[in-house]
Amino acid sequence: MKPARDIGLLFQRYAIQLLRNPVWLIVGFSTPILYLVLFMPLLKHAVGGVGLSSGQVVNLFLPGILSLLAFASGIGLGFNTIFELKAGVIERFRVTPASRLAILTGPILATMMMMFVFDAVVVAVGFGVGFSVYWAGLAVLAVLLALLMTTVAAFSVATALITKDISGFAAIVNGLNLPVLLLAGVLLPISLGPTWMRVIAHFNPLYYLVEASRVLAGGTLAATAVWQAFAVLVPLCALVLAWATGVFRRAVA
Amino acid sequence: MRAVDNIITTQDLRKSFPAKKARGGKGGAGGKGGDGGRISAVRGVSIDVARGEVFGFLGPNGAGKTTTLRMLTTLLPIESGTATVAGFDVARQPRQVRTRIGYVSQLGGADELATGRENLILQGRLYGASRAQLAPRVQALVELLDLAEFADRRVATYSGGQRRRLDIALGLVHEPRVLFLDEPTTGLDPQSRANLWDHIRGLRERGTTVFLTTHYLEEADVLCDRLMIMDHGQIVAEGTPRALKQQVAGDAIVISLRNEDRGAGDRGAERAAPLLRGEPYVRELTADNGQVRLYVDDGGTALPQLIRLLDSRGIPIRSISMSEPTLDDVFLRQTGRSLRDGDTGGGETGSDTGSEPEEVAA
Repeated sequence: MKPARDIGLLFQRYAIQLLRNPVWLIVGFSTPILYLVLFMPLLKHAVGGVGLSSGQVVNLFLPGILSLLAFASGIGLGFNTIFELKAGVIERFRVTPASRLAILTGPILATMMMMFVFDAVVVAVGFGVGFSVYWAGLAVLAVLLALLMTTVAAFSVATALITKDISGFAAIVNGLNLPVLLLAGVLLPISLGPTWMRVIAHFNPLYYLVEASRVLAGGTLAATAVWQAFAVLVPLCALVLAWATGVFRRAVA
Repeated sequence: MRAVDNIITTQDLRKSFPAKKARGGKGGAGGKGGDGGRISAVRGVSIDVARGEVFGFLGPNGAGKTTTLRMLTTLLPIESGTATVAGFDVARQPRQVRTRIGYVSQLGGADELATGRENLILQGRLYGASRAQLAPRVQALVELLDLAEFADRRVATYSGGQRRRLDIALGLVHEPRVLFLDEPTTGLDPQSRANLWDHIRGLRERGTTVFLTTHYLEEADVLCDRLMIMDHGQIVAEGTPRALKQQVAGDAIVISLRNEDRGAGDRGAERAAPLLRGEPYVRELTADNGQVRLYVDDGGTALPQLIRLLDSRGIPIRSISMSEPTLDDVFLRQTGRSLRDGDTGGGETGSDTGSEPEEVAA
């Protein structure tokens, strides 16, 4: 299979680039740990859970961190796209017969692999402070994380290809970051917010992931939140991937 | 006319961009031939490139060279006209074309965090070759382009000339029939440039057809078997460097009349131009910037006559020089402008902007 081979080659290439970038590695590993270390003590008091054990807090909070990581891993990919556009890398690949889908998905899959490495670190550290691990739930959650990350990454890459310059792209990403994160209940459950907020949240794909992640991390598989997340993220991911591949094909880069 | 062994053939190739895309420094002056808010970048280009030749596109920045190249290499959709490369139609069979051509953009685009050799192997594998097939091929390229010393170092450590040679090797790793080079020596120092010229000549000796764009006169003259001079999206002259220069028969004489007195220079040129134009031995004449440039059949006899004439009218000469015609004289004759100030004159078309960063180097 030609596309599969191309995807493999470009996955490998991008993974090597990431692993050879020490700054990226250090920031990549430390950010999720910092979230755990810095937010957990705050949350312990904020949720009014004076009586909550650190295990209970981490159970509540860690799934959100994993969702946040999926979003952040995906949205960051566009910055790399712009760099590669300016450096002529994308053009170099586009004149080869390599599958266009592979040029898009190779880096997405490499980013996904690194995301799972970071996820594993977060879970391991969380386990150390009392996180209850339910393997089946985490496995299903991994699928949802991958779906969301792919969706966000494809969106990010396509947006980068359209805007073509770093300042325009950064403005879009920064503009999206805050509302998407707030309206997903990543750090604070959205149920704390007023009704209008809870309504708007339903238009935010990340919201469905966060809701499902709390349920799944608790070990429940057959819950409404889980089905809803799949029902939203599977078609959305397919749609955004198709759009992004189209952007790649059209010779705008 | 359409010989069997033409490896590139185009007919009436055209491309325009929406006017709003023409942004940035070069796009300013609104563009030529724009209709309905579009700017024509390429306006009817027909080319025939024979197998095994080094073919050049010479023209100022913004002339449409890169846009044409990007259409021929499947990177930009062809708006109208046809193009056949290595026996396949570019618009309908882009995949077949891609496997048979190599393309080195102005940007290069090698991975900085990988070594030269790693870059070459990945590139070769994207064209479907196996590692085993590639090992000897990459080694041969490393030797051909003198990369051996640093092939196993990361690209981030390369000098400009080294990186350019790697870029060319990347374009050759799948043994293409045609290699497209977009401004291959822009931004290189003279020594690296001469070195790269040697390597490009070496490619021709191996039978690779090379299609390159350049805005350097010397490069076109020294390197190309045949070339086309392009301006404002159109071909203005075509032929071997020798034949092109012979079109401008005789010698070129440049008289500089700029004076110490403020403004006197321009008036000097203004006064001198009609005077000299009246002389029977002056074939062609252009005047600007306090300079008069004219062509004569025999410089040796014309020179003293010119000096005497100007002296008798009291027009002070600052300097005078005579040369064999260059490709710049060809360009000047066809367009009325000099290519030497083409770097600043590039703003006139605003055609190559939008999708392509043409000025990258330096």
